[in-house]
Amino acid sequence: MRRLLAGLAVGSLMVAASACGSSDSGSSDKSSSSGGGTTTVKVGIIPIVDVAPIYLGQKQGFYSKRGLKLEMTTAQGGAAIVPGVVSGQFQFGFSNMTSLMIAQSQNVPVKAVANGIASTGVDGKDFGALTVKKDSPIKSAKDLEGKKVAVNTLKNINETAVRESVRKAGGDPSKVKFVELAFDQMPAALDGGQIDAAMVVEPALATVKSQGAVEIASSLVDVAKDLTVAMYFTSTQYEQQNPELVKKFQEATAESLAYADSHPDEAREIVTTYTKIPAAVLANVVLPKWPAEPNRASIEALMKLGEEDGLFKTTPDLDKLLP
Amino acid sequence: MKGLNAALGAAGLAAFLALGEAVPRLGLVKEDYFPPTSRIAEALWRELKDEVFWTALGDTLTGWALGLAIAVTAGILAGVVISVVPHLREATASTIEFLRPIPSVALIPLAVLLYGTELRSVLLLVVYASFWQILIQVLYGVQDVDPVADETARSYGLGTWARTRHVLWPTALPYVMTGVRLAAAVALILTVTAELVIGAPGLGKNIGIAQASQAVPEMYALLVVTGLLGLLINVGARTVERRVLAWHQSVRGEVAV
Repeated sequence: MRRLLAGLAVGSLMVAASACGSSDSGSSDKSSSSGGGTTTVKVGIIPIVDVAPIYLGQKQGFYSKRGLKLEMTTAQGGAAIVPGVVSGQFQFGFSNMTSLMIAQSQNVPVKAVANGIASTGVDGKDFGALTVKKDSPIKSAKDLEGKKVAVNTLKNINETAVRESVRKAGGDPSKVKFVELAFDQMPAALDGGQIDAAMVVEPALATVKSQGAVEIASSLVDVAKDLTVAMYFTSTQYEQQNPELVKKFQEATAESLAYADSHPDEAREIVTTYTKIPAAVLANVVLPKWPAEPNRASIEALMKLGEEDGLFKTTPDLDKLLP
Repeated sequence: MKGLNAALGAAGLAAFLALGEAVPRLGLVKEDYFPPTSRIAEALWRELKDEVFWTALGDTLTGWALGLAIAVTAGILAGVVISVVPHLREATASTIEFLRPIPSVALIPLAVLLYGTELRSVLLLVVYASFWQILIQVLYGVQDVDPVADETARSYGLGTWARTRHVLWPTALPYVMTGVRLAAAVALILTVTAELVIGAPGLGKNIGIAQASQAVPEMYALLVVTGLLGLLINVGARTVERRVLAWHQSVRGEVAV
């Protein structure tokens, strides 16, 4: 008994000591530069195909030649990334445009710094699609009135996109029943008939297609031509305090995006290093476009549609948000 | 008796695995979403050969062990102090009952704000969830102290420390060990959940990546690993419990039967 008590006491001391130790080292190497002018920055990302360029760029040395060392921090969704960046746990993050505009309109201090991904802009060949089950009676987005449509997050970019597809097909989007479902659960739900349609992106889209599902609209293409879907961002505070560093990140990311866009095979290859997408699925995945610059006109279109759907309390200030 | 129990346990598991093989094979559920046991086993074998898996397992075990150690230490200390110091029990009772039902996972946004996706985020959730298991058991245990024994010790002139050491602690220990066993299981669940949701390194994060990657057999393989971990932890906790309480009548009685 005495030994147990003594052991517990020693254990707690060690825990306390190691906790202090890790917090010290954690804060010292977080944003301050160490030694030979290399700065380590943490980037909050979602481990999906979209962020392949940043991994590729790191492998190609686009960041290290500018004195940046990236430490990828993966999160399940954007929900953990925005608070992480704003609180300074990560220096940069990856988020879709609607989430960024919602944050900006609520005065959350975020600043987009580099382009993330864009839709391919090709109808029927995009990385995201509005799909229905094989042999479904639903033939166009107009038929979705009164039907259950799954989107990954309600009141966000994919809901906006589906609403626009319904509108363009001559339907009334307010009659569509939206339900929230994670992308990876959509194939089973669609197949099992729990939902009538799903707005799904890669790699789940490849799975859905392999089951013979039918694409009734390329909703992201319906929003705007070459829609900027997501961007890398930082906090306004970090941007003001480290303008040089942000500029370097911007340049390196632009180079990485251009490289990934022109080397799709290498981009596909690097995805296997940070995801578990099976080779057979990866081969069928439609890659997004990775233009080096965001497309402001498309973001404005996305914002207008978002306003129409009541996503923002106040109009987002794109001049403040965009680089 | 013990051998029979083990045999029954193995038979039950074998039947379960066979069912897992048969249900998708018979087409009752789609193989794509619920792979048969053999495909999960294949994926598990691939995982075992992968260095990434072992690093993740290490991270998960670290989070579990550290979290549990902190929770056990803090729970015992807080429990004993609350019981020994006059009126402290009454003063803290409502606060404890207020805090205890708050689900640990509800603290995830707070954890991310404070610590990002580091180990400390995981620890925050694990300690919060398992601390109460220990504390409540300690409080119950102290309540079980025989007043006659306590008064006897008092009349023999034993001080607070000596009474805590010789009367309170032996009485409370069986309760504490129950608390440790419960906390060990809760700590594992919370470690994996935190990794899954926050993205801190570990098995949970790998489960999340497998989910997002449409790698269904790999996802189930990792779930099997967490299940096995839970089983091992439970067996281990029971063994420790028996060793520590070897003198106690509950354990001695068990052996005699």
